Amino acid sequence: MAIDPTATPSATPPATAADLDDDIYVEGADWESVVDAVSDDHITVNMGPQHPSTHGVLRLVLDLDGETVTRLTPIVGYLHTGIEKNTEVRTWVQGTTFVTRMDYLSPFYNEAAFCLATEKLLGVRVPERAEVVRVILLEFNRIASHLVWLATGGMELGSTTVMEFGFREREHILDLFEAQSGLRMNHAYIRPGGLAQDVTDDFLERSAALVDLLAERMRDYEDLLVENPIWHARLKNVGRIDADTCLRLGVTGPVLRAAGVPWDLRKAQPYSGYERYEFDVPTRTEGDSFARFLIRLEEMRQSMHIIRQALEVLPGGPVMVDDKRIAWPSQQSLGADGIGNDPDYIRHIMGESMEALINHFKLVTQGFTVPPGQVYVPVESPRGELGYAVTSIGTNKPYRVHVRAPSFVNLQAADVMARGQGVADVVVVVASLDPVMGDVDR
Amino acid sequence: MSEATPARSTAPRVGSLVPTASTGVSGRSSLTLDAIAQRVTERFPEVRVQQAFGELTLHVEPDDLVEMVTFCRDDDELSCELLSDLSGVHWPAGEHVIARQTSTTGWPEYRVSREHGVIEVLYVLRSVSRNHHFRISVGTVDTAPRLPSVTEIYPTADFHEREVYDFFGVEFEGHPDLTRILMPDDWIGHPHRKDYPLGGIDIPYKNDKFIPPPNERDLREVID
Repeated sequence: MAIDPTATPSATPPATAADLDDDIYVEGADWESVVDAVSDDHITVNMGPQHPSTHGVLRLVLDLDGETVTRLTPIVGYLHTGIEKNTEVRTWVQGTTFVTRMDYLSPFYNEAAFCLATEKLLGVRVPERAEVVRVILLEFNRIASHLVWLATGGMELGSTTVMEFGFREREHILDLFEAQSGLRMNHAYIRPGGLAQDVTDDFLERSAALVDLLAERMRDYEDLLVENPIWHARLKNVGRIDADTCLRLGVTGPVLRAAGVPWDLRKAQPYSGYERYEFDVPTRTEGDSFARFLIRLEEMRQSMHIIRQALEVLPGGPVMVDDKRIAWPSQQSLGADGIGNDPDYIRHIMGESMEALINHFKLVTQGFTVPPGQVYVPVESPRGELGYAVTSIGTNKPYRVHVRAPSFVNLQAADVMARGQGVADVVVVVASLDPVMGDVDR
Repeated sequence: MSEATPARSTAPRVGSLVPTASTGVSGRSSLTLDAIAQRVTERFPEVRVQQAFGELTLHVEPDDLVEMVTFCRDDDELSCELLSDLSGVHWPAGEHVIARQTSTTGWPEYRVSREHGVIEVLYVLRSVSRNHHFRISVGTVDTAPRLPSVTEIYPTADFHEREVYDFFGVEFEGHPDLTRILMPDDWIGHPHRKDYPLGGIDIPYKNDKFIPPPNERDLREVID
């Protein structure tokens, strides 16, 4: 049938189901060619890229048999910003400002993985205080990320109360981040060699109070959801995936743990001193969306457990390595003009040593050089294995930075999880994978 | 619309990939890097082994890639259930002097000369049950990059290989749907190659002059 763009929706809808099978009563644009291309009840539907439940600009092409999904094809790339390529023309320190913008719900993980890769190439180990602060912030970030998952996932299923809860608590965590780094998100606070600056004086009390608050509020989520019949009906037996399929499709993180594999890089290959903290790796065996919900709740609890231990052992001392070729001034204090500065450092370079001034100038304008080599550094992000494959040729800029983004890889499992289920379940499947499009498209 | 079918069945395999709870979170690798290297070189003597930064890299020829990856997955000791990462690096042809801020670091400049440009593809294989990972490196000429696909062995390579094709133009033979994934479908060129221009626009300056955007890379700026 020829396409007539001027055609108006014709005829009134037929009255019986039998008529529906025979007659096409929706017209316009290229719709008829789409309908002609498929037979019987099979139709192809675009979900996204501007769909509220696709977590940003994710496009899902659904092949439907009636209401049942027969195939789901994720189409990505709408948010590609070339961050990997951008890091190639900037110094190693500037790289953190770029990578933190990938997975915008867990920015500290990108910073930490990039800095761990850089430090591995440099052969430096950051001071203990910086390491412990990193762990505290990373775990707070995991809670914040899971809270957004709970909030948006709940809202997509119609529970606006859950959304209010999730974003309410996340805001407290972001306030803490803002107090330390100056920014709610995209902090660029973790730097190669340590931290951009020391934490505030009230960091300990504030963090402890926040953990207590979060632990209390966790009970609200459980009271509201764990026994909730609607929550059960929407999540149980939806989006099932077994451990074998997870591993074949490269799925890691909470989805893999919900399928029964106790795989957590913090335990398996500890970094940043994770071997010092006691925590459990929760697993379930059902492998459905409800299991993933329970896993994420338990992970938040475990994160709080880690934060409490880290706050106990937080030592004093510097937060940046003691190597003048790498270290930016980091012992900053707030001046009368409202700008943070390191007075001792400024006195040293401006008044005492010309060489120190030259070094500072070269460090800031040119950056430091990193020995040539290739490393792959994975960390356990809230979404799974976040890996940085960094290549250096020995200059002041990375030669190539590749990011193994967990959202990108996990998205391949959406097809397996959605097949045979209803259209409404696709929303649950995508939500339970928890993809962040900034992480997928980079 | 693409014809991707991520739910393909994989090559037949005896038993399950799932490790038991006792081995999964041990926190310690059961195989040292030397033991892994030895295990692989017993079977593939021509593999070049490289250890640096506490990481193991095995350099293989493209012809051996599929056999090697299959071996690493199915071997009882290596048991690599997971393909963690697959990425590319472009090493262009020509002579390059790598300047390294000799005045401050004391490191000498060094010279790199390549007759053919190479696109290096890196596979990170991980064993969840044995808790170890290592890297396989394979090179292909950048004028007509072509490698066998490993999607039949690891279905997760689907998106990864599409990404490397998108960014470097490597054609993975046997991939079910090798299309661009992150760049638009009608994009020309492969942006992560070092011969791809950096882009940018001319900046207007006084007296109706325009300043071209910087187009310097670490390699470019030091080529004589």
